Amino acid sequence: MAVLPADARCMDTELLGLQACGPDAWLLDLALPELLPSLAPGRFAMLSPGDGSGPLIPRPFSVYDQPQADRLRFLIQVIGPGTRALSRLSPGSPVVCTAPLGNGFRLVAPDRPVVLLAGGVGSAPFLLYGRQRREQGAGSTALLFGARSADRLYDHASFSDLGMDLLLATEDGSQGFHGNVLQALEQGLDSGRFDPEARFAACGPEGLLHAFSAFARRRGLDAEISLETYMGCGVGVCNGCPVATAEDGCFGAWPYTKTCLEGPVYSVLDLVF
Amino acid sequence: MSGPQALRCRIGSLELDSPLLTGSGTFGHDGLVTRFLQPGDLGALVIKTVTPAPRGGNPPPRLVETPAGLLNSIGLENRGVDAFIAETVPLLRELSKPPRAIPVVANAGGESVDEYVHMVRSLDRTEAFAAIEVNLSCPNVQGGALPFATSAEAVARVIEACRSCTERPLWAKLSPNVARLGPIAQAAERAGADALTVANTLLGLVVDWRRRRPVLGAGFGGLSGPAIRPVAMRMVWEARQAVDLPIVASGGAATAEDVMEFVTAGASAVQIGTAGFQRPDLISRIAADLRALLKQEGTDLESQCGSLQWPSPAASGKV
Repeated sequence: MAVLPADARCMDTELLGLQACGPDAWLLDLALPELLPSLAPGRFAMLSPGDGSGPLIPRPFSVYDQPQADRLRFLIQVIGPGTRALSRLSPGSPVVCTAPLGNGFRLVAPDRPVVLLAGGVGSAPFLLYGRQRREQGAGSTALLFGARSADRLYDHASFSDLGMDLLLATEDGSQGFHGNVLQALEQGLDSGRFDPEARFAACGPEGLLHAFSAFARRRGLDAEISLETYMGCGVGVCNGCPVATAEDGCFGAWPYTKTCLEGPVYSVLDLVF
Repeated sequence: MSGPQALRCRIGSLELDSPLLTGSGTFGHDGLVTRFLQPGDLGALVIKTVTPAPRGGNPPPRLVETPAGLLNSIGLENRGVDAFIAETVPLLRELSKPPRAIPVVANAGGESVDEYVHMVRSLDRTEAFAAIEVNLSCPNVQGGALPFATSAEAVARVIEACRSCTERPLWAKLSPNVARLGPIAQAAERAGADALTVANTLLGLVVDWRRRRPVLGAGFGGLSGPAIRPVAMRMVWEARQAVDLPIVASGGAATAEDVMEFVTAGASAVQIGTAGFQRPDLISRIAADLRALLKQEGTDLESQCGSLQWPSPAASGKV
């Protein structure tokens, strides 16, 4: 059973700035009061405005980037009162940040290809992933980045800047592949563009993750998903973020796993999802 | 009194460094999250309910936020008392020893008098707990049946039976989902409880009207957070009028001002629950504010406790 990460801390941070990166999304930069070690991709933070302007419960966000040891960047799509409150803060505002939380993606050998799938704001954990791969001098890292429309392919240039093999997809056909990222993945596997022995990982809307998990199991892919489950505490004490476990998976007979401690990244074999 | 001793308080025979406790179910079982707190700020760790058999808990979603509140239906997820004693009690024992020296209060759940007795016996034998809180009031587990805490007679039966199996302080955690708390509080007192925890979450429902379904996987949930504080406050005052037992307030406290309100209404200690989800170090922040507040107002917890003066009928404006 996973326990609270030893490196987790609760910090009073300062908002450095908010930069719009789509019709409904922002890059939010925080200055931390202390230095953090280099974070594994897929770990997350609980964020809330420190001035009480947000709702009662903080919201979980994947760490998008770590520009310096005392800076964190988050990609935030405004979808409700929690994200709206964060998007309305001014530079200099206090932000409560509990981080780093969760497990992050499993390490991949540098010479093994990686294929990542992002739906909309689900791209959030993959910039750090690409950065880690580049620092390892790793081989091919592909990102299939899909959204409803071209203007929601948030900050996609940052991924190609890291040298990732970026394949864009839009449901309305306004940019890149016309369709969703799963269709693009299927085509890429069938055409030989992607190696089925690669490590696969996906993050995005629940519908996409359900379809991806079923697809990965059917094709026997070594695949992980990063969940965006609603959380209460983020530190493993409220039992409010359960996901059903597979009986033959690593969690054994226990019916649920806590996304905040044992996730948010899971092998598709360990969940009923 | 000021300085490091300023927050010392007493719940019956139990002396604590601080009146700030965790609310059961909001700080887990293993106490690891106390790492975020400064020494002396947390009076006692009240752990999440443990039941005789493992409980997987209720189907998700288990949480939905409401204005200034949180509706939850966790369903007492826990690995059962045997696994708890084998795996978690050693961690709690460490926590209760120096250098941390945080007293731990167990929380016992059950579905029958026999189950409660089994729990209290098992927890008592570990000798790891400063007190045992008996959860008579979880709204999320009876499958439609009413919690024990909705009946004075049922409360009396459970507490009397538990009383005979332990000499440790026994706290009865009561329910706010009752018409009159007084007779139930008195039943707990007569049956031998050492303190009352007042209260628990308020039974509630949030509807997804488009899907024509409850938002929570189990349907109903328990409402917590600042939204319920005035209700909990009223019940602490009602209990204060009804019994002589120490009262541990539980319901929506989020600031030092809230803590002083509860103390004035009659509470000896105050549990911090849902508000702690804002930040895991909240209890230390409240403790610092509380020390400052007591100093600034020139008062102390003991003289403030239960000092609420009820307006006389003549002052109500009625003619």
